[in-house]
This record gives sequence, structure tokens and C-alpha cells, in this order.
Amino acid sequence: MINTINKINKTMNPRILLALFIIPLGLIIAAVPQDTTHPYKLNASQLLTEATSSSQFLSTDAIADMIIQNDPNLQLIDVRTPDEFLKFSLPGAINVPLPDLLSPEFSDILNQDVKMNIFYSNGTLHANEAWMITTQLGYSNNYVLQGGLNYWAETIMNPTQPSSTSPDEEIAKYDFRKGASMALGGGKTESLDNGTPDIKVPVKPIIKKATKKKVQGGC
Amino acid sequence: MGPLITYELISQDTNFLLAFIIGIGFGFVLESSGFSSSRKLAGIFYGYDAVVLKVFFTAAITAMLGLLFFSLFDWIDLDLVYVNPTYLYSAIGGGVIMGAGFIMGGYCPGTSFCGASIGKIDAFVFIFGLFIGVLLFSEGYPLWEKFFNAQFLGYPKISTVLGLSDGIFAFGVILVALGMFWVADWAEKKFPQPEY
Amino acid sequence: MAIQEQILKKTKYLNPYLGGVLLGLVLLAANFVSGRGLGASGAIKSTLVTVVNAVAPNHAENAKFYQEEAISHGEKPLKSWLVFEMMGVVVGGFLSGSLAGRLKLKVEHSPKITSKRRLAFALAGGILFGFGSQLGRGCTSGSALSGMAVISLGGFISMAAIFGTAFALAYFFRKNWI
Repeated sequence: MINTINKINKTMNPRILLALFIIPLGLIIAAVPQDTTHPYKLNASQLLTEATSSSQFLSTDAIADMIIQNDPNLQLIDVRTPDEFLKFSLPGAINVPLPDLLSPEFSDILNQDVKMNIFYSNGTLHANEAWMITTQLGYSNNYVLQGGLNYWAETIMNPTQPSSTSPDEEIAKYDFRKGASMALGGGKTESLDNGTPDIKVPVKPIIKKATKKKVQGGC
Repeated sequence: MGPLITYELISQDTNFLLAFIIGIGFGFVLESSGFSSSRKLAGIFYGYDAVVLKVFFTAAITAMLGLLFFSLFDWIDLDLVYVNPTYLYSAIGGGVIMGAGFIMGGYCPGTSFCGASIGKIDAFVFIFGLFIGVLLFSEGYPLWEKFFNAQFLGYPKISTVLGLSDGIFAFGVILVALGMFWVADWAEKKFPQPEY
Repeated sequence: MAIQEQILKKTKYLNPYLGGVLLGLVLLAANFVSGRGLGASGAIKSTLVTVVNAVAPNHAENAKFYQEEAISHGEKPLKSWLVFEMMGVVVGGFLSGSLAGRLKLKVEHSPKITSKRRLAFALAGGILFGFGSQLGRGCTSGSALSGMAVISLGGFISMAAIFGTAFALAYFFRKNWI
């Protein structure tokens, strides 16, 4: 083998051969943006910190307020199926069904710094899953409607009247919700719980990745 | 997806077996390139033999490019690969002492094992010296412990520090390395010495 | 001219660029399989710690360095990635040397100095390197080479310090080499 290599030595300078080969490869890798060479922006412990801080949750009251105020930064994202979306959705919401979360047609909506993306579903589970994935990808401004549409129906659409002996705060909240309900076209609606259980969902893939430890090296 | 051990695609014992096999590859390539000879290793500092420069930097850019391409094809998760920590003072201090050891002994730990494997007695003596040096460090540890742990900057990558993407930085290293190779070949012609 | 003739004579070693590519592939394999780069000085440390644990267990229990080692590397320091790798290095080097006919028990030194002088400097160099590699958390293989492959800042600083110092001191030791 050393003989053939020495023949190459004589015919073409190996340094030039190396350069010819490696410079194009280098150009290709330089042209690739950073994101694609790193599948996950947040590592496991960063994601855990975010998840345990529960700072992604926004209450139904806060969202109702933003809708009434016509807050331009608000972007509601409905992660349920298209059928459920058509039956009922919050004003101004976009339908991004959870299985399609990573599809390129929605990446512009999800990956931006301007509007607040607020995921909602019937409960909190699916919306939180969407939040986990987009946060791990490094998208910012992602939030979750705490309690989902079920809680929305309870609090905003059909707020329960507090008894007259309740603290002022409760009564104020009720008045706000009553007003919101009328503004948002509420009134008596039937329960949104149409039997689709928000329970068993394969959460495994994400959690498995979150427990990957780095190898200790060095020396 | 790599790293195989982190994704539990291989067991810890397989990992050790593969470490042994990778070591065989490491030793074979080092020895074939002439790293078992202390006079070839010291050659870069006097200009007559740039084998250290050429092999080292070619290996660095090959592995760097390889890792980035693997990550591009989703064959490896770069966030799970070990990145050496940066302890500013001890890195510089240790490096200076190692540099002195290198120019005096003509070996580094990896190459000394190569030299020893083909029977170089100076390599054996160097390895013996290594043990003494490590013992000195461990016995006197409380004396330099503070210096050893000072200025821990985490595990930063040079590309992040410079604000470049990994790919652009890798391309920069490639250009610098190729530039050095041109200079090295010039130096080897200018300061010739017989080969050992 | 004798020197010119010797340079034109074909080399018995692998072309360094080819060697570099092969070494880079080995390093890539190490990262892919085990999530870490190559190394060497850690194996020396593991062996030393094992010896100290066996010979002077009381001291090992009380001295800070060995305590820290026990915590981070557990019961059997010899069962480590680096130790297996270095065993492979010896085998690989031996294989390559025997295939090329380079196996010979000798002291390699410049014809201008004695082998005693060479061995003395080898010892001194080894001691310094052993100490420095612990302080610097790695040697040229573990910190400089593997560090460069993952673009680590610490690795780069180590490399610059090692080669910079060696270049700076080269003049004072030139008699040993040329």
C-alpha cells in the first residue's frame, strides 16, 4: 500500500489533493445554517427548568382580556383536529392540529418573535405537548391556555355566580367573566367534552430524549 | 442515532471493547505516520519535519467536518458529545508545563505508548516520568487545588465565543490549516535533516 | 549530496496527510460510538490511582485527590474507557511497527548526544508532561486534538499553550535534536 501511495505522491502533490477535496466540503458545511446541524436548541436540563417553572401557563381570564382588548400580539393556536376546530374555536384562532405541528406550512407561524403563540386544546395536555416541542426547538413566545376550552367554558362562557358572601375579588372576577362572555358571544353552550379523552398520548419520545446524559470524557 | 452509548444502542461492555478497537486504530495510524519516533515529533519545532502539524491539523479538520456532517444527516446529536471544559488558568498553566515537557522529552503520552510498543527505550523512560509527574500532582494536590479550579468558564465552543456558526468556523480552520501546510512544506525543504 | 539523496529516497512512513485523514476518522468513530474523543493521560492517572489504592489505602482515603477520584470514577478506576483505549494503542502500534519492520529495542537519539543524555531528558520531559497533563485536564490527544474536533475553547487554549511554549523553548534544547 505504501508503494501506491508513493506513486500518488509523485504524480500529484497530496497537499493539493487534500485541499481540493476538503475545501468544497468546508464550503458546504459553512453554508448550512446553525439550526439544522443541531436538532434541539434546548438541552434536557434547560427544558426541565422551563417545564417546572410553569411560566408558560396563562389563565382563561388573561386570554379573555386580551381578546376583548384586541391585543395585536395575540395568536391563538388550536391544536385539536380540524373537525373540532370547525365546531367551535376561540376568536381569531388558527388550527394547527398537533400531528401537523412540525409541518413546514406552520413553521412561519410558530417560529417567530413577534406574536405570543398560545396553544389551547380541550384540556391542557395536548396544548402543553405542543409547547414542549416548540420550546425544545428554540421557538420563543410560546404559552399554554391553562385548563383549555373546558375551563374556558366553565369560567368565561358560563361563569358560576358567586354567593353574595364571597370576597370582593370573587365578585369582581365574576362580573368580568360575565362581561367577557357576552362580548365573546357566550351564553349557555353545551359541554365541550364530546368524549375524546385527553389522556393517553405517547409522551414517551420526548421524555426519553430529556433523560439523555452527556458522556464524561477528557484527559 | 449517535452517540451510540448515550442512546443505549450498545452496552457499556461493548463500549469498552470498541474503545480497545478504536485504540488499535489510533495506535496503528500514529505509528504508521511516524509518531513513534521522538525525533520526528520534535521536528516541527526546528522546521525539518512537519509531520505533527500535518497529521494533527488534518485529523482535527477531518473529525470536525465529519461531526458536523453527521449532525447534518441526523446521525449524531452534537449536544450529547463531550466538549472539553474551559478552566482558564489551569489550561494555560498546564499547557506551558506540557510544552516544556514536550520539547525536552520529545513525546506526549499517546505517542510515548506508540514508541514503547515498538521498543523505544526513551519512550519507556518517558512513560515512567509520566507516572512520577502525575504522582507529584496528586500528592501535592491541596497546594494547587485553587489554581486548578480557577476561572471555570463552562464548556464553551470557540464558535459561540466568536459569534460564528460551527460551519463557518470549521471552514475558517480549514483555510488556516491549509495555509500552515503550505508553510510547513516550504520549511521542510529549507531545513532538511535525514529521516529516522 | 547525502542529505538531498536521503530526502528523495522514498519514505517508509505513511503520507502525513493520509495519516491525518485516517486519524480524523478514528476520532470521528470514537465520538460517534462513545460520545467522547480520544485521550491518553487519563489512563496514567487511573493506573496510578489503582496502585495507590492498593498500596496505601489509608492515604487514598484521606488525601483529597484520591477522594475526588473515588467519587467521580467509582470503585474500579481501571475499568475506564481510556485504559481500554490505551491497551489498544499499544497493540496497534506494535502491529504497525512489526508490519513495517520497525521493531527494535533501542534508545532513539540524535547522533550528536549520548543516549544517557537522551534518557535523562526523556525522564525530565515525562515528569513535566505528567504534571502538566493533570493540571491542564488533558494532553495533546485528549485536550488539543479531541478538543479541536468538537471546537472546544479549553482544548484550543491547551493546544496553543503547549505548542507555543515548545516553540519558545526549542532554541534552548536544539542541541538534543539537530
